[in-house]
Amino acid sequence: MFASRAAHGRVNGTTAIPWRSSRRKPNLLEQLKGSECAWCPAAPWEREGARAALCGTPAGSFLVVRDSTTSVPSLLCVSAGGDNNEAVIDYCIKSTGTVHTANLTKRHQLVLFYSLTRDVLAKTRDLSQLEPETWLCSPTDQQTDEMTQREPSNVMCSIQLTSTNGALCIINPLYLREHGDDWLTNRTTSAQSATQSPTNYRKERRLSSTRAWAGAGLLTKRAISMEQDSAAITETSALTRAFSADSPHCPTSTSETSAGVVLRRPSRDAASFPAPYRVSSGSLTPSTPGGSNRESLELLPHGSPVPLSPHRVSWIEDGVWLPPPRPSSRLHPPSQELDSLSISSIEEEQEYQIPSPAPHHQSAHRLADKVIHRLSAVGQALGGLVCQKKRLTNRVQELSERKGSAFAEAVKGFVEMTLKKAGDHSGVTGSEFLQEVRSSLSSLRETLLDYPDILALLDSITDLNDSEIDSLVELSLHKVALKPVSAHLYSCIHTSRTNDGSFDRLQSNMSVLEKNGVEELGGSAGVGVPDSLTLERIQQRWTSMHEVYSPNKKVQILLKVCKSIYHSMSANASSGTAFGADDFLPCLTWVLLRSDVVTLHLDTDYMMELLDPTQLQGEGGYYLTTLYASLYYISSFRPRLAARQLSVEAQNSLNQWHRRRTLHCNQSRRSRNRRTIRRQTCRDRGSQNSETGTERREERSGGDGESFDNNEEETQQQTEPEALQPLDEETHTPSDCNQRDEVTSKQEERQSMCGEEDHR
Amino acid sequence: MAAGGAGGKTYSFKVVLLGEGCVGKTSMVLRYCENKFNDKHITTLQASFLTKKLNITGKRVNLAIWDTAGQERFHALGPIYYRDSNGAVLVYDVTDEDSFQKVKNWVKELRKMLGNDICLCIVGNKIDLDKDRHVSVEDAESYAESVGAKHYHTSAKLNKGIEELFLDLCKRMMETAQAEERLKGNGASQSASSRRGVQIVDDEPQATPAGGCCSSG
Repeated sequence: MFASRAAHGRVNGTTAIPWRSSRRKPNLLEQLKGSECAWCPAAPWEREGARAALCGTPAGSFLVVRDSTTSVPSLLCVSAGGDNNEAVIDYCIKSTGTVHTANLTKRHQLVLFYSLTRDVLAKTRDLSQLEPETWLCSPTDQQTDEMTQREPSNVMCSIQLTSTNGALCIINPLYLREHGDDWLTNRTTSAQSATQSPTNYRKERRLSSTRAWAGAGLLTKRAISMEQDSAAITETSALTRAFSADSPHCPTSTSETSAGVVLRRPSRDAASFPAPYRVSSGSLTPSTPGGSNRESLELLPHGSPVPLSPHRVSWIEDGVWLPPPRPSSRLHPPSQELDSLSISSIEEEQEYQIPSPAPHHQSAHRLADKVIHRLSAVGQALGGLVCQKKRLTNRVQELSERKGSAFAEAVKGFVEMTLKKAGDHSGVTGSEFLQEVRSSLSSLRETLLDYPDILALLDSITDLNDSEIDSLVELSLHKVALKPVSAHLYSCIHTSRTNDGSFDRLQSNMSVLEKNGVEELGGSAGVGVPDSLTLERIQQRWTSMHEVYSPNKKVQILLKVCKSIYHSMSANASSGTAFGADDFLPCLTWVLLRSDVVTLHLDTDYMMELLDPTQLQGEGGYYLTTLYASLYYISSFRPRLAARQLSVEAQNSLNQWHRRRTLHCNQSRRSRNRRTIRRQTCRDRGSQNSETGTERREERSGGDGESFDNNEEETQQQTEPEALQPLDEETHTPSDCNQRDEVTSKQEERQSMCGEEDHR
Repeated sequence: MAAGGAGGKTYSFKVVLLGEGCVGKTSMVLRYCENKFNDKHITTLQASFLTKKLNITGKRVNLAIWDTAGQERFHALGPIYYRDSNGAVLVYDVTDEDSFQKVKNWVKELRKMLGNDICLCIVGNKIDLDKDRHVSVEDAESYAESVGAKHYHTSAKLNKGIEELFLDLCKRMMETAQAEERLKGNGASQSASSRRGVQIVDDEPQATPAGGCCSSG
């Protein structure tokens, strides 16, 4: 405890260094602030409760208790490591004005220090990665390296179980090593250990002293992360200092039990769980990333049964969370939704790629068997995907770096050529350039597939179909070939889109359209749109979509966005009815109007051009197309009202168009009326029908090619020149004009027939 | 067009479903892919993209079915959806003559945009409501023949004719793909992939003629 205090100053000096230096990512301190409800619980917690909870916990464990009336943090209770009541020391927190702020910071720093110096470290380090970026993209990149470089003895792995009811459960395998895994199969063990006996904790805490181990793990990891993050060097050294400061106090025992089972439950009311248990048992856990408090984490006492009917099992290697837990259960309600929504098929498979342990990970392997045997029975197929994926990625990386290999040469050539061309915009459009990149990627893939060991590796992957294997190969290629050039590609697209006016059009139409509700954008009445929280989450996903360089990963993120939009459509509907795909495009457009469309356009181009063409046919391709269509809708939108403010000449010339359309409009109107009648008196009309049908067909074939909807511009340009000739000098009357406007305004409605009839 | 079976082992086809709202596009594809039918009219309920795997004479076929899901409201977006399609299923409601006219419009457009590369099926759905039929069988069939399309009668409700329709379509798409492969001869896979990339742009001037916005699609 006092060691902690003593060292605090030192840590204080280094806490300014972000835990992860990547831009946009909250550092540990920020995350700890977000998890304040865990270590600074709300009202029911008072001094005695906190002391009782702390009793028997290792020195340095602490809780902050709020004043019962003001809810201001008022007391810091710190365990000195003993069993009796004296073992907990209280510190009053002054909370007046700025002083309070200062103390608040210090509290966070204290937690930070605490986390850094004990075995909670490993856990907290995991949590430091639970941030939007990591939640969203599959963390293969950073894992890859660790997987192969780590000595087996250093392997720390946890298992994350996710049950069908959405509960997440994290098991520290070291716990299993110590205590066996009977509890996995034996449900009755829970009752006893569920009671909070200080001595139990004490005992376990004594067992749990892997600081040395955790430190080693941490340092290894930091070293690895330098590859991605040059700033991490400073971090590492800072951490090294932090560790050496602490190391004299480190017990050297290597056997370890740390946190038990963390149950993660969807819950609307955050902070209602006995979060302090987490602190006292050393698994300090931010309730959710990004400060959103929709879920609470609950630590179940050791020995609790795993949730019923789990349906996902994921490995956590060395504390890296492979599949980010569901970011928000509200966005992702449990499985029945997943069944009905096809997007989920991809998401579930890809986000929760389940690694199987590498052969050399002995303990992991054993554990995997246990858990898998238990859980796969519940019906979730487990694949060895991530592991093989890593091996493939590593192998491809190696090949690309091996001097003199054909593949390395090809990659080098590609990167150099692309960088060179990206700087030179003369004569080649952005999309042509991107297509060259795509075809280079395809030939790189061919080159890669010439390597027998790559083929053998791919052949060894038996649980994937061809297209999934293709996708794996693509991903590994992206890492060596696209990653170095992606920034250049972006700037190339940006230049090209700026020059051709796309961005201007998008942005100017944004201002016209952004006031429109979803119904004005063509959605059904009452259809829901994402609420502000969801929208914020979507924005974060757009951001991470832009940050990943692999078009495949971008598409996966896009699918998640689509899924949450689908969800919002019905969940936030005013009528409570379910809305489906028919309203998706308007809703997506609504979302885009509140997003950074320029960047989205950039990413859309990037994906459209760089995805493996076969993947454009898949679900990702479908929703990418929808995104593209939505952007196109925005950029080609022509405000009708603007026409009213035009000059007389312009109006006259527009009237010419009106006249042409009037003919058609009348037809459409007629057909609409007739349609209504026919629907009502279907049977009566049955006999005379075919005759009128023929007539109308002829009529229409004359007017065919005219268009009067928002997208008239492009539709007209699609028509043959002769179709654009005035067809008829039918008198143009004001009423026709009004009629036209009325019809036009209706064209966005679900059942509007006019617009469609123009369609050729 | 882009038949994804480079080695001739597996074909991947994209089929786009077109037609007026409420003619039963989604019901048909749901019936086909999941053997479900919902009698109440549900607008395309989160089922706008479905896949089906087939094995036809020893050849594996992956069918990706793109439902246009209300995009009939935004018809200028049509080309964005149907480009790169190997087949199109144009659905009308036999009790709704207008819907048949719409099919004709689609045929014109598709032929213009995609030429004869695309296999067209014209499908009169809802034959369970034959007593209310407003589109004569002869008219429909002769029209289909005149534009080089096949005509089918189906009932998603009674599960009639749907399997046959898609099976036939697959066979035709396979023939088209095989003919294309023969044309290309060896080295098909290489040229196929690069051509596919280019193809997107080939369609683009037509798909997005309004000044080439988004033309990279």
